[in-house]
Amino acid sequence: MSTIAIVRAAPSVLQPPRSLWTHLRPLAMIVGSMTIFFAVWQVLSSFVFNPHLIPPPTKVFATAVPMIQSGEIFKHIGISLVRVIIGFIAGTVLAILFGVVMGRLKAVNDLLDPIIELLRYLSPTAMIPIAVIWFGIGENSKYFLIFWGTFFFVLINTIAGVMRTPVARYRAAQCLGASELQIFMQVVIPSAVPYIVTGMRVAMASAFMSIIPAEILAADSGLGYLLQTSAMLVQTERIFVALATISLIGFITDRIFRWAVERTLHRYMAFITAT
Amino acid sequence: MLLVDAVSKVYGQAPAAYHALDDISLEVKRGEFLCLLGPSGCGKTTLLNILAGFESVSSGTASLNGKRITGPGSDRVMFFQDAGSALFPWLSVEENVRFGLKLRGLPRAEADRTVSHYLAMVGLDEHRTKFPAQLSGGMRQRLQIARALAIEPEILLMDEPFAALDALTRRRMHTFLHDIWTKTGKTIVFVTHDIGESILLADRIAIMSVGPRSRFRDIIEVGLPRPREPAMPRFGELYGKIEGLLTNEVDALQ
Repeated sequence: MSTIAIVRAAPSVLQPPRSLWTHLRPLAMIVGSMTIFFAVWQVLSSFVFNPHLIPPPTKVFATAVPMIQSGEIFKHIGISLVRVIIGFIAGTVLAILFGVVMGRLKAVNDLLDPIIELLRYLSPTAMIPIAVIWFGIGENSKYFLIFWGTFFFVLINTIAGVMRTPVARYRAAQCLGASELQIFMQVVIPSAVPYIVTGMRVAMASAFMSIIPAEILAADSGLGYLLQTSAMLVQTERIFVALATISLIGFITDRIFRWAVERTLHRYMAFITAT
Repeated sequence: MLLVDAVSKVYGQAPAAYHALDDISLEVKRGEFLCLLGPSGCGKTTLLNILAGFESVSSGTASLNGKRITGPGSDRVMFFQDAGSALFPWLSVEENVRFGLKLRGLPRAEADRTVSHYLAMVGLDEHRTKFPAQLSGGMRQRLQIARALAIEPEILLMDEPFAALDALTRRRMHTFLHDIWTKTGKTIVFVTHDIGESILLADRIAIMSVGPRSRFRDIIEVGLPRPREPAMPRFGELYGKIEGLLTNEVDALQ
């Protein structure tokens, strides 16, 4: 078969200039927006608001330095992160196992779906009191709450992913001689990967939002505990350090997760648009 | 030989039942290129799905070489219009073709040879490490053909495979498919609603009536020398004749 070379007309108008600025623009925007944010905050805290209620960034930073130097903040980060990771992994693994079975076997789905539809409206925060009664204020209650905040997001996405395997792909595998089990393992599950990963990212955010209330109400360590004790002593600077840490840790974790997905699951993430 | 004997297909139960196909009989000889031509909703895809074994018959029998078709089998490979769905996007071009060979446990060296042979045949040899998302529409369809041919089926079942391609690519795919058919001698059952496409490709064209209760309106022997061109003298005559048949069909419905 001969190939046809398509010669594109040289673009003359409406082409953005490809200069150094094109590459630097995203970084410049981030630096710019952060600078404006901190500058406005500094001015407002110094001249408009009560600095005891909203401490200026310079004071927050000054408070953070000794906490970093003594390692206090890292201790709390470490404890919270371990809780999040253990609960997240447990929730994800179990949700994927349940999800692929429910997505594949209609009877199991019909049986379990009503229960899940009710349970998933119970937020991890709502489960704190019962978790403390069941597991005490130790680590297990935190694992359970993170698990709870992870499980349903991953489960629902996994079910959707398994159910939405294109009929044509399933049938193509049948024609190529694949058994039901082979189709399930080699076609259905890989087709569901983008859905599962999306569920995991949402669940990750949920896990970070769940750990804080759990630690505020029932813990003796972690970032939520740091918030709680600082509030009791009305140390607003330390509260702001804790809040900034939580957003930073969440953001970094998501970036690491996306990077890991890109590295390991890249080939499964490609959706082909219709021709 | 592919044999369809008095096949009917009914969807649903008695009061709301839909009779898609009504008492259809057809014989496709080994190596023949048969087009199923008809307006939308005439049941051509239903018939193709029955031949593939994706759907069962309500009455009658469909058989291949005397063996009744009861489910999908690797002697009949279906070829889909939406290559994006039908291909495995997480596998490279090469791995897509290898998929069926791995399942049947072909030794590595032999599989390598087969993969290379068919990739060369469809002209995707230099794209073997690419992924389906990086291919053009026409290339994806060629990959689908290579993947199907690699397991050496007797029959290719094609469901409007080129309908989503642009006119130029479609025309090139016709030439390409004709070459593949000549080289491999496969039996092809090709569903289309494009009259010109069916005249260019088919030995015989089975024209289906509008559903419900679809039947064959007529089966036409094309008889033009190959390779064919739309500019051939008898092409237009045949086109007019088939168009007349189809127009009557559609008019009768309204």
